[in-house]
Amino acid sequence: MSVSSAMEENPPKVNKWDGNALKNALDDAVKDVLLSHFSYIESHKLLDGRLMISSVAVGFSIFALVWDWLYPFPQSRSVMLVCVVVYFVMMGVLTWYTTYLECGIFCTALNKDVAGIDPDQIWNASSSLKRFDNKYHLCLSQRTGGSGRPKEARTVLTVENYFDETGKLLYASVAKEVLRLYSDLDSKKN
Amino acid sequence: MFQMDFLDDIRRMNCRQIFYQFLNFAMIVSSALMIWKGLMVVTGSESPIVVVLSGSMEPAFHRGDLLFLTNYEQEPIRAGEIVVFKVEGRDIPIVHRVMKVHEKEDGAVKFLTKGDNNNVDDRGLYANGQAWLNRKDVVGRARGYVPFIGIVTIIMNDYPKFKYAVLAGLGVFVLIHRE
Repeated sequence: MSVSSAMEENPPKVNKWDGNALKNALDDAVKDVLLSHFSYIESHKLLDGRLMISSVAVGFSIFALVWDWLYPFPQSRSVMLVCVVVYFVMMGVLTWYTTYLECGIFCTALNKDVAGIDPDQIWNASSSLKRFDNKYHLCLSQRTGGSGRPKEARTVLTVENYFDETGKLLYASVAKEVLRLYSDLDSKKN
Repeated sequence: MFQMDFLDDIRRMNCRQIFYQFLNFAMIVSSALMIWKGLMVVTGSESPIVVVLSGSMEPAFHRGDLLFLTNYEQEPIRAGEIVVFKVEGRDIPIVHRVMKVHEKEDGAVKFLTKGDNNNVDDRGLYANGQAWLNRKDVVGRARGYVPFIGIVTIIMNDYPKFKYAVLAGLGVFVLIHRE
């Protein structure tokens, strides 16, 4: 099912000297390929987890602000102490979450079973691009929901091959790489 | 040229990512706030870091110096110490030295302050009819200082438009910049 996506028609143009922008554009393109070429559904669980932790932290900080305003300092001391400690604990949890749980994953796509019997196939795409480096590491992993060790396929893309001189993303080249990686993974036996 | 590229980044974000951008901004502000509240709890002072606004304590402190304060209940106020206090009804904290102390057995104190560089004591600064300060007027005692850095705060307060411009600029930058 090859429907031309909005990004394919109008690939983004970025500042080609900004590594962060390049990585974001490539990530978006990979996600776009995965979601538009196959009838997969995006799962937002990972990002939702991050949003939840951050919201709780900010919630505590807002609570501390309001409490201190209602009951000026010496009385609010114990509440302040609790809020500050919880806030920094949440920051620690968030760091742990992004480093160990998320691990560079920017897209999770689910291949739902039509009959609804078998567990979903979970596809994770993760990437990394070091500062001032031009090697974009892409890793696609497939796992059958519930159990199963993930199968992985990795590739390294040299960023300059995927953007033209003006910084416009070469969508077709990216799509080719992603689909190649996908079929590599699909054909791999456990 | 650059403007379009920045905004492009935003247009490609979905709802969740946009929410995360705002949360990111909120977390930066919250971190600063929590550090300040944490300092308040640890030092026991409602304003643990203050800027010296006048030259009344020269040559010890100059206008623009940053002072670190603590306000532990157990520590008694003694003559010769530098305290930061607020006169009842006025917002601005004053940094001066304690000249005279009267102390009762139960720990209640009355004290008189004077700036090192002033000719007269602070009775003229106190509220109408007030001749002595109490423990509750004290914001904290000076424990350490960093010279000059507070000038930035003084400038920001003298030119509020500059302050809002800087804060707005930083805010927009954080909101637009994608991690």
